[in-house]
Amino acid sequence: MFYREAGQFKVSYAADQAVFPIAQDRIAMLALLLIAFLVVPFVASEYVYRAVLIPVVILSLAAIGLNVLMGYCGQVSLGSGAFMAVGAYAAYNFAIRLPFLNPFVCILLGGFVAAGVGIAFGVPSLRIKGFYLACATLAAQFFADWAFLRIKWFTNYTPSGSINAPPLEILGVDLSSPTANYIVCLVFTVVLAIATKNIVRGHIGRQWMAIRDMDIAAEIIGVQPMYAKLTAFAVSSFLIGVAGGLWAFVYLGSWEPAAFSIDRSFQLMFMIIIGGLGSILGSVLGAAFIVLLPIFLNQALPPFGALFGWRISTATVSHFEAMIFGALIIFFLIVEPHGLARLWSVAKEKLRLWPFPH
Amino acid sequence: MTARTRSFNEVLLSVENISLSFGGVKALSDISFDIAKGEIRAIIGPNGAGKSSMLNCINGFYHPQEGAITYKGVRRSQMRPHEAAEQGIARTFQNIALFRGMSTLDNIMTGRNLRMKTGLFWQALHVGPAAREEIEHRQAVEKIIDFLEIQHIRKVPVGQLPYGLQKRVELGRALAAQPELLLLDEPMAGMNIEEKQDMCRFVLDVNDEFGTTICLIEHDMGVVMDISDRVVVLDYGKKIGDGVPDEIKNNQAVIDAYLGVSH
Repeated sequence: MFYREAGQFKVSYAADQAVFPIAQDRIAMLALLLIAFLVVPFVASEYVYRAVLIPVVILSLAAIGLNVLMGYCGQVSLGSGAFMAVGAYAAYNFAIRLPFLNPFVCILLGGFVAAGVGIAFGVPSLRIKGFYLACATLAAQFFADWAFLRIKWFTNYTPSGSINAPPLEILGVDLSSPTANYIVCLVFTVVLAIATKNIVRGHIGRQWMAIRDMDIAAEIIGVQPMYAKLTAFAVSSFLIGVAGGLWAFVYLGSWEPAAFSIDRSFQLMFMIIIGGLGSILGSVLGAAFIVLLPIFLNQALPPFGALFGWRISTATVSHFEAMIFGALIIFFLIVEPHGLARLWSVAKEKLRLWPFPH
Repeated sequence: MTARTRSFNEVLLSVENISLSFGGVKALSDISFDIAKGEIRAIIGPNGAGKSSMLNCINGFYHPQEGAITYKGVRRSQMRPHEAAEQGIARTFQNIALFRGMSTLDNIMTGRNLRMKTGLFWQALHVGPAAREEIEHRQAVEKIIDFLEIQHIRKVPVGQLPYGLQKRVELGRALAAQPELLLLDEPMAGMNIEEKQDMCRFVLDVNDEFGTTICLIEHDMGVVMDISDRVVVLDYGKKIGDGVPDEIKNNQAVIDAYLGVSH
């Protein structure tokens, strides 16, 4: 009833090609951004920032990065943890070796280094596909784990291997409060998400999707597979690298290589599979789902057990958490293999007709 | 409709003594023919005659072991597919090769990717040259959508379209590249009579209005004899006939190849 596009006439191709061609969508997105920037900082507690908001925002960015590669270009990658690590350690090295640089500039530079490493590990994709490519990117993961643990230069010869991020500030303004952390991460994610959306709706994005859907036909209409695949690896690794820099500098503050283990790669992959392959919105929804579900189960299980007179210890809760989490992922993949983003578009389609059935 | 009699003098592409084999299987042996600028050239032959292999050689997907192809006066023994695309050769496939996850509009827009040049940076900002370029090419693509009468399925993912429309979208994608030479691999296979008539109309209109040279493979002899200017016949990888439709109809070797003879 409220979601009708009747009467909204598009009179130019620009209006037809807009990201949100329907006015209601534009308003909803604007409202969401206003809430995220202006309302949340006044209501969120420190716990909510640290446990929910900052991880969701940063991991959304990483998920968008992985979605560029897997969802849009169809290249399976298990190396996202490695690219996050490269972004984080490169940013750290820029910060300590060029101390005059702002930490956020270092994070962006770290993203470019990650893009370079991504291109290098993307080269095998020119010859191999599918599971074999997954193995090749897995090599990136193991290589990064090894390099950042064993090559002491990367960690500036700290004895423990754990390193600290530089203090966060811009032009003398201290940004170490949780609110400031959140806003900074949100700015990075929103700006880069918009940039990514612009790329995927343009001709470069179409080349990626052409390679994903049918690489032979793509080549025959003039797409160069090497260029398309390597740009996808570069853009993807850049986004993941920036997310890694933010994760290390803003969220963790001090970290060791285990922070970017293969678990992180799998987590990001679950996010985009559950959220929806080939969708920017899906990446964000998937990140929110994966971060929030354990917290929700953690909070909900003990009272639920109390209903039946069971006392559930914290250890049991964490076991249940893992089990329910796994079951939900499987359930999800069976019921809606195209992810939350598809669920959302189905809901919108229903809403257009509501309250009528068809 | 009777066969059209038109004369052509400029050769656009000529195939000289092409031989292609896969291991011990000889797909093409010593094939030579030419395609004149502006004509509709058909390649026919029984199943397994090497027709699709011939198209694959022309657009650089297969590399023949012997012989050379001269296109627009440049003689090549090998060409990569995207080079062929840059030279103005576009094609459709026997089994539809669309990008199933993308809309009709995006599929046809992809056909113009060689003409879209803005880099990653402008694309990310989507202002200035990138936005202008997108609109310009959208206008060109909309002309093709009008031409092929597929306005109503512009935003539909092609995976959801019926077969006949998918074939039409694939023709649109090839046309979007504004090719000089259009290779059609069985454009009417599996269509009903109305769909075939539509497709014939599009093929003839493309040839008349845009002056595109067309080389098509087709099994429907009625269609082939009606719309093509010249026909080349292959059988078991060898050329057994070449000429205007009326000659081919009366060529004993062709009749034998189709009907079978006792040796």
